[in-house]
Amino acid sequence: MASTYPSSDGSVVDRSDLVFLCPVDDVVEGEPLAVEVEGCPPLAVYRIGEQYFVTSNVCTHSYSLLTEGYQEGDQIECAVHGGTFDIRTGEATAFPCQEPLVTYPVTVVDGRIGIPTAGIS
Amino acid sequence: MTANGQVNSGEDFGRFIDLRKGWVDRRIFSDEKIYQRELQQIFARSWNFVAHESQLPRAGDFLTTYMGEDPVIVARQRDQSIKVFINSCPHRGNRVCFADAGNARRFVCNYHGWAFDTAGKLSGMHAEYAYDENDIDKSQTRMQPVAKVAAYKGLVFATFDPDTPSLDDWLGDFRWYLDMLLDNEEGGTEFIGGCIRSEFPANWKFGAENFVGDAYHAGWTHDSGARATTGGIPFPDIDMENSFHSSVNGHGWEFGTEGVGDISLLGSPAVMEYYEKLRPKMADRLGKMRSQIWGSVASVSLFPNISFLPGISTFRIWLPKGPEKFELRTWVIVNKAMPEDLKREITKRVMLTFGPGGLFEMDDGENWSNCTTVNRGEVTRRQLLHYGSGISRRVDDHPILPGTVFRGQYSDANQRLFYERWVDLMEAKSVKDLPQRPEPRMTGRETRELVGVSAL
Repeated sequence: MASTYPSSDGSVVDRSDLVFLCPVDDVVEGEPLAVEVEGCPPLAVYRIGEQYFVTSNVCTHSYSLLTEGYQEGDQIECAVHGGTFDIRTGEATAFPCQEPLVTYPVTVVDGRIGIPTAGIS
Repeated sequence: MTANGQVNSGEDFGRFIDLRKGWVDRRIFSDEKIYQRELQQIFARSWNFVAHESQLPRAGDFLTTYMGEDPVIVARQRDQSIKVFINSCPHRGNRVCFADAGNARRFVCNYHGWAFDTAGKLSGMHAEYAYDENDIDKSQTRMQPVAKVAAYKGLVFATFDPDTPSLDDWLGDFRWYLDMLLDNEEGGTEFIGGCIRSEFPANWKFGAENFVGDAYHAGWTHDSGARATTGGIPFPDIDMENSFHSSVNGHGWEFGTEGVGDISLLGSPAVMEYYEKLRPKMADRLGKMRSQIWGSVASVSLFPNISFLPGISTFRIWLPKGPEKFELRTWVIVNKAMPEDLKREITKRVMLTFGPGGLFEMDDGENWSNCTTVNRGEVTRRQLLHYGSGISRRVDDHPILPGTVFRGQYSDANQRLFYERWVDLMEAKSVKDLPQRPEPRMTGRETRELVGVSAL
């Protein structure tokens, strides 16, 4: 059984280097999922079409969980002030957000969403 | 008779009204202290009309309006409830929402970026690091909510006072009358189009008292308008035997029983035809008498500042803006079940008659403005105003009609009883103590079912 898998950033990762967040079936487009994993900062998991993305769940402007906001296509809008980020790149795309979000490459293994253990601070 | 003495807030307001003889003191229309007392005693404690449910169909839909002079946001929540809160930031007091209506995910203050959810609760601030841990309790910081929100058959009301009686008790037996507007057909009513706002240099009570009972002005003030919409026919003489004033808790409906007078003023055969087809069904639904009242020459006010013309379909509030100014806000109210083209036809006809430039609307404003400014005169105001029409025509224990009933549509009865309620509120220390005027017959009952008592 293979233990290496392609990741969304083009790299190939070993299964043992991943931390798993949730089943892909839990992630509905337009309803980003908040995930709490031991040792991780709060994370948000998104679906856009057939692709999955993971970012920090904390708005970089003023404390708020982005999963309480509004996903529109590849944009996530913060519930509090209406600033937005690009879900794919983490780039801040609307006032008052300026600092980008941390993003994580996603690897899907056996229907579960994983991100690299090494990427977690 | 003459009026003397200084106006002192906080005491005997009954001396401005003589119900038994039918006099009103002119000072209630321009005195600044009385006006301030009205804001405290009446508008801060009454059920104010804030929206029709049809204006806020989806979560996040909101509109802005006023309760007295207090600006409020009225917003539909995700759980379908409607929240009402003062449109002022708790930080420096700035107006938070500047739009008339729309759909919002949040309200953010212009000044420092304080952000509120659609229920008015503080959700975050810009540069929140300005606040140390114990500087502010965000969970307790919000735009001030009203005490209570309630709806009656589509009309949404709010009050700032937790002691205000329930909306059902406040409306009381007047619900029997209101059902003619709100429940004459399956599906109820809706507002269509937007809100039209206009300002009048007049006291707000002149609008409210005109609609509460003043059929009398129509044949004179509106002669030219009536002729224009009816093809030259003047306003008809009133059948004083079969027309009435009815008042409950200061709300009043003056009406005939001929069934067509108000509808015909719209000048639309399509509207006449619709209501004539509806009338037998309305008789099954609400009883024969109400089906005969509907469409007659009539006008209505709900205390303190809500009015409409049944059959003509204009619905409005008179928002106080100082003792000598009010803002009129009007909407068109129709039955949801009506075909779309009929709704458009009614909207057009309401604009022609009761829009700001309408054939009838223009006539009234000038009168109310002159009543207000002339009553201000130092010597002029010493003479009391005559409100005595029909003072001995009370009908006790009418077999069908609830409320305090007077016979004869040309009358000052509902106006006197409107001012009786005005005194009640102006003097009541607590609104818990408000009397029912008169004692209700229908407490706790669904008024639509009261069809057994419907022979004319």
